[in-house]
Amino acid sequence: MMDKQIHLWAFLQGIGFFPSGWMHERANPAGVFSMDYYARVAKLAEQGMFDAIVFGDQLQSRGAGGRTPERMAMPTLDPVSLLTAMAAVTKHVGLVATVSTTYNTPEMLAERFGTMERISGGRAGWNIVTTAHPDTAPNFGEDDLPPKDERYRHAKEVVAKACELWAAMDREGPLLPQGRPVLVQAGQSPDGRDFAARTAEAIFCPAANIEAGVDFRSDLRTRIAAVGRDPDGVRIMPGLSCVLGGTEEEARANHLAILDLADDALAIEYLSESLGCDLTAFDPAGAIPVDTILDRTILPKADIARAITPAQEKGTPLGDFAANFMRHPRGHNVFLGTPEQMADMMIAWRDAGACDGFTLQPSYMPGGLEDFVEQVVPLLQQRGRLRTEYPGSTLRETLGLPAREAVAA
Amino acid sequence: MTRPFILSASIAEVAFAVPESAAPILYAAEAAGLDLLVMGRSGARPFDAQVLLAWAAPLTSRLGLVATVPASNAHPFHVARALSAIDFLSAGRTGWSVVSEGAPQGMGEDMVGAARALWDGWGSDTLILDKASGRYLDASKVSASNYEGAFFKVAGPVNAMRPLLGHPLLVVDGDDPLAVADADIALFADGQPVPPASKRLLKVAPDADPAEPMARFEAGEIDGLHFTLTDALSQLPVIGARFGAPVSARPSESGDLRARLGLPIPSTASNQPGGAVIPENA
Repeated sequence: MMDKQIHLWAFLQGIGFFPSGWMHERANPAGVFSMDYYARVAKLAEQGMFDAIVFGDQLQSRGAGGRTPERMAMPTLDPVSLLTAMAAVTKHVGLVATVSTTYNTPEMLAERFGTMERISGGRAGWNIVTTAHPDTAPNFGEDDLPPKDERYRHAKEVVAKACELWAAMDREGPLLPQGRPVLVQAGQSPDGRDFAARTAEAIFCPAANIEAGVDFRSDLRTRIAAVGRDPDGVRIMPGLSCVLGGTEEEARANHLAILDLADDALAIEYLSESLGCDLTAFDPAGAIPVDTILDRTILPKADIARAITPAQEKGTPLGDFAANFMRHPRGHNVFLGTPEQMADMMIAWRDAGACDGFTLQPSYMPGGLEDFVEQVVPLLQQRGRLRTEYPGSTLRETLGLPAREAVAA
Repeated sequence: MTRPFILSASIAEVAFAVPESAAPILYAAEAAGLDLLVMGRSGARPFDAQVLLAWAAPLTSRLGLVATVPASNAHPFHVARALSAIDFLSAGRTGWSVVSEGAPQGMGEDMVGAARALWDGWGSDTLILDKASGRYLDASKVSASNYEGAFFKVAGPVNAMRPLLGHPLLVVDGDDPLAVADADIALFADGQPVPPASKRLLKVAPDADPAEPMARFEAGEIDGLHFTLTDALSQLPVIGARFGAPVSARPSESGDLRARLGLPIPSTASNQPGGAVIPENA
């Protein structure tokens, strides 16, 4: 048995982690509409011994209603469909699809995931989300999202009901190989952490540095133990983006080259989309218009205030804040360095208890994934920290999780 | 263009939903020359046929993949997205058949109207994908649908591209007919009223004598045949042997499913000229 094995997930959303990533010479933006592309990246993830491929989701169109600029308005493919198609061309890699509890009934969820679970031979995972974007509600005939605490309360009921339905399906048709999909969660708020502690078997989170990782994992393990579950039965998988180079200088140059693909306006557009408020009319050299943002944002004001207040207090100009935001999207770790340095960093995080593994978010696709699989994976394997073959056929076996337990009440 | 003779079959057993059963059946369906495989039917759940379609997409290359969608246990926003994804993953080979399965009167029609409105929220030529100019798409070609029916109210736009087919083929069944004037394919049994559609497929037994249905096809009375499979692995080779000849004699097999079967998007059903165009060299 390997000591402190590093688990790997691949977050392969769209065109890569950086908003300018699709313009990279090794990016294939037309590919995200073709099966050939997905077959290639799914096989690459399996070659790299990833536990799972993950796709996020949203139930509204970015750029809808003129709120965000067109360069953010990228269409996506439904994650359950995409991952199930990938199941047909792979044997081992797990498939984690994000699906909302707010805008699906337990019956819809149970049937979709039950089918995905059977046809993939037990490789399905469900990233449970409650949907936070207010533009979603009108797509389901409602004016507004339910309040956050209500969405989480409802999520608990939906998960419990879906689990009942899977148990019934298991008795009636071909067996669900894992009994039910592996339950995954990605919330960071206190509500989200509490829900994760009770429900999740794996957790995706941002951690910009090793201290943040240790803090998050310790907090979650405490919460998990407090509800009577075993913390070792939950994998914590912070996001990790990277730009590699033969030397550290080369990696930094490669990073700048990706950022340079974006003009200054793209950074402001990306920030606008992330803050839920159009900032394109403001002077980039001026101060961050905090009051306007908090007044106009369609996202939760407290979250937005937390994101912008420190920079405002430092007097950072809007353009600089936007550029910095694009360099460190959504609080995730962006690693720049050589493949050796990256392997060292990953091992150090794992040994410090900052994570059980990482959710790799390639900066552009498919080149960023290719680089990691070709250059970093062999190093982790040489050091005995990454498997060289899959232990079984189901995602649960791959994650090294115990047989499924009941969801804590 | 000569009129294509269309071969279609449906399969509904739950056992189909495991890879060991499904893969050989898909290969046998392609080998038999089937144009359409309809997965699932009323009362044959639980499995989600849309999920099976996604799995079937990379394992097949010419078979049209049709999902039955229950009006009462689905939402048009989700259905529009899933079918759009499957249409891209199958390079333009999707279809759907809405079944009422206990849903209130009109709900199936409402499902069709809402999903079509969402697909039409994206123009055929929305994507630009130009690395040099940094223009990914033309947002002026994306619009809210603001669909409002008796059961579904869906603002849109949907966060999925317009399908390659524009709209997946709409298949209606005389056993559970949908009041839609411009369906693409109708399935009907002898003695049953034929739902309005561009193409009419007669339901016959897998071991039927080919002479009579072929004569009806030649007379222009029907456009092909539909079989309900109960033992797919033994029935598909029989169907291929008896009815596959006119399919394999077709002059051209290239193009997406609409092109191949001679089914343009009904003009009443779309405000767009065709399916999504993915720019080349991107």
